Amino acid sequence: MVDTAFIVEVIIIWIKVVVVALVLFSMPLALTWIERKVAGHIQVRLGPFRVGPHGILQAFADMVKMLFKEDVIPDRADRLLFKIAPLLMMVPVFAIFVAIPFGDKVTLPFTDRELTLYISDMNVGIIYVLAVSGLAVYGVIFGGWASNSKYALLGGLRSSAQMISYEVVMTFAAVGVVMLANSLSLVDIVRSQSGGFWHWNILYLPVGPVWFFIFFIAGLAELNRIPFDLPEDEGTLAAGYHVEYSGMRFAFFMLGEYVAMVSISALAVVLFFGGWDDPLGPFAFGIPPILWFVAKVMVFIYIFMWIRFTLPRYRYDQLMTIGWKVLIPISMANVLVTGFMRI
Amino acid sequence: MNEKKVKIVKRDTPGALDLAKKTVFLDFIKGLSITLRYNLSRSITIRYPDEEKWIPYPRFRGAHTLNRDEEGRELCVACELCVKACPTNCITVVPMEDDTGKGIADRVAKVWEVDLARCFFCGYCEDACPTTAVRLGRDYELACFELDKARKTKEELLKPQSVPEDFEGGIIVQAKLQRTKSGIKVKPNLWKKKEKK
Ligand code: SF4
Ligand code: SF4
Repeated sequence: MVDTAFIVEVIIIWIKVVVVALVLFSMPLALTWIERKVAGHIQVRLGPFRVGPHGILQAFADMVKMLFKEDVIPDRADRLLFKIAPLLMMVPVFAIFVAIPFGDKVTLPFTDRELTLYISDMNVGIIYVLAVSGLAVYGVIFGGWASNSKYALLGGLRSSAQMISYEVVMTFAAVGVVMLANSLSLVDIVRSQSGGFWHWNILYLPVGPVWFFIFFIAGLAELNRIPFDLPEDEGTLAAGYHVEYSGMRFAFFMLGEYVAMVSISALAVVLFFGGWDDPLGPFAFGIPPILWFVAKVMVFIYIFMWIRFTLPRYRYDQLMTIGWKVLIPISMANVLVTGFMRI
Repeated sequence: MNEKKVKIVKRDTPGALDLAKKTVFLDFIKGLSITLRYNLSRSITIRYPDEEKWIPYPRFRGAHTLNRDEEGRELCVACELCVKACPTNCITVVPMEDDTGKGIADRVAKVWEVDLARCFFCGYCEDACPTTAVRLGRDYELACFELDKARKTKEELLKPQSVPEDFEGGIIVQAKLQRTKSGIKVKPNLWKKKEKK
């Protein structure tokens, strides 16, 4: 049963997993630098400038600093939960990338092997992604609970309420996309949008843009980013759920948040912006599809940062109002409209 | 008794226009376009110790200098008017007789010291001086590790200034950070002007 083809297959999957994991691990280093640069320039400053040319090594300096910091565990904290909470936050956001397709098949040079640029094409990919991304909130809740601190606990509770409200909205947006693509597999969803930007779900008028906005707002809320970063609201909660964390454990939380940002960006690209599809469709001039994917994800990451340094934070009741009283009714109406359009 | 009139304040109900504005996220778009504009504009940061340095205007009141006349004679006649004028009492002048032509008169300062840790750069000393010997110059990097270093003696003050008196100033120039034995200095290159809006 175990023949060479099978072994080669396993090795290839291993290589893909390792490559994706390495890329994701190194991503936050670049992203913190980019985020601080974007913040600086939006505020007419320069951002980090002293470590390396244009401060490009700042992230490494920060990493070294984090590694050498004391790892403080509060006296009455629940030690086990406190230790595993950052990992609980980090693992699910990495696991999301198992299902995300970065590109279609490519033929390896010098061999005639076909290589798929995704780790797995599950036929229920979108459900897997939603389920796994919902798990990340356990890290936040446990972190808040285990710290034995009021601020952290409140942060954790806020996060759980936020997650419950917006998970519903997010799922609705996914339902919309599934209705448009007639498939739950992320690869098929991308394929259904191929052939130029006018085939993308965002331009499926009139429901496409609405679905996208619903997805985007829910995504912002799931990421705990401004304007919905209530679990770590500095103004009222010091630093929210990670107020007691320091050193590498804190860095893991940050890592988790950045990778989550990448994952939501990738998901937005896959669901609404045609994944690896060339926007020029038939007039394409041969830019490899994977580059298109990366470029689109980068644009989204920039948008997240841009929004962060533009908008103020919402109040907690406003957050809930937007979720339950605005987005869910709109989603329901939109499901109806989409259904009629697909008859 | 006159009855209290209760005024009912009616809150403006959001009109159709407001609603329309909300649905297309008009306020967000405005805000985002402002931040985008700033993101693309030039930063106003002066990269101070590493690459750029601000050269103040001549009217700037920085560390003291003692001047000489065209023939190199010390202008200070040790009249001690600056000592009297100083509100913080930080100048010490001890006069002595000298007819070797070191000064412009036969009286020069044996000791002329100012304690920059106490000085608050009001400029009264410079106003009081009858011979315009003492001037507040344009050096503003005065931090030091030991308190004694903040006392400037006559020898130090008589040295020429880092920025010449007739230099226009009010500009940012190229500079270099220098670490020497005596401390950290930011050496300006006065003729390499940097434009900043
Ligand atoms: S500037 Fe003012 S405080 Fe400083 S030495 Fe002159 S008179 Fe005194
Ligand atoms: S600096 Fe001027 S005021 Fe002070 S002692 Fe000398 S001449 Fe007199």
